[in-house]
Amino acid sequence: MQTCNLYYHSQTTFVVDEITTVIKEAVESTIGNSSYQHSKINQWMSSIVESSLSQLTKLGKPFKYIVTCIILQKNGAGLHSASSCFWDNSTDGSCMVRWENKTIYCIVSVFGLAI
Amino acid sequence: MTPRRYTVTRMKPSCYDNHGKAVNRKRRSAPSVSFMDAGANTYLIRPNYKDKFKAGVAKEHIREILREQLYGVQYNPEEVPTLSRSLADAIKNRLKDVGFDRYKLIVQVVIGEQRGEGVKMAARCFWDADTDSYAQDIFMNDSLFCVAAAFGVYYY
Repeated sequence: MQTCNLYYHSQTTFVVDEITTVIKEAVESTIGNSSYQHSKINQWMSSIVESSLSQLTKLGKPFKYIVTCIILQKNGAGLHSASSCFWDNSTDGSCMVRWENKTIYCIVSVFGLAI
Repeated sequence: MTPRRYTVTRMKPSCYDNHGKAVNRKRRSAPSVSFMDAGANTYLIRPNYKDKFKAGVAKEHIREILREQLYGVQYNPEEVPTLSRSLADAIKNRLKDVGFDRYKLIVQVVIGEQRGEGVKMAARCFWDADTDSYAQDIFMNDSLFCVAAAFGVYYY
């Protein structure tokens, strides 16, 4: 009975840890060791966002997803990202993943809304 | 004088008059149900055309708020976190007031310093393209740039 409830809970609410792992993998596989190159940004961007979204949909949960990705060149500038959401706290959630290497900052945020 | 108690018995009006003739009585109309009762589930699976998330309208509101609040503001690392949060809340409250009633709203605001660095921001969504939509706007001045994106997702 308990496992049944837990399973139901994880299928209908946003589980942050799972999503974080999926996203980190997607970012690592795309820009793992690269340095910032203006000409490749578009390609990296599409690849990160598409692969994250396809991995998320493969989880098979009844959720709508919004994935945003910011890629920033490291040159000492500051950046802040904030989000405000009007949704159902018990079922919807968001997570932000920050990733960096020597020349690139990458911030991916995922919003999941239960259907 | 002793107080008298009266009991009232409600009687259904008769269908026949005193001479035994059938009387035509106006049927009382059924009480109208308001479809917008608070808390009542209305099972609308598609918004009416006029209730859709209008990207143009949302963009105008976002633009107004960004212009108002960021005009002449310099990038200050201590103030920017609260500024970005307050912008996100202001945009969300404004969009709630505009009246996208059955929409869940997500507003993301990114403020960065202008130092000649390269930045790119992209978003991709897995949703119902008929009902859901987004609006975005960018504000730039000499010391900062700000991107605000608002996503509206229909609640079935």
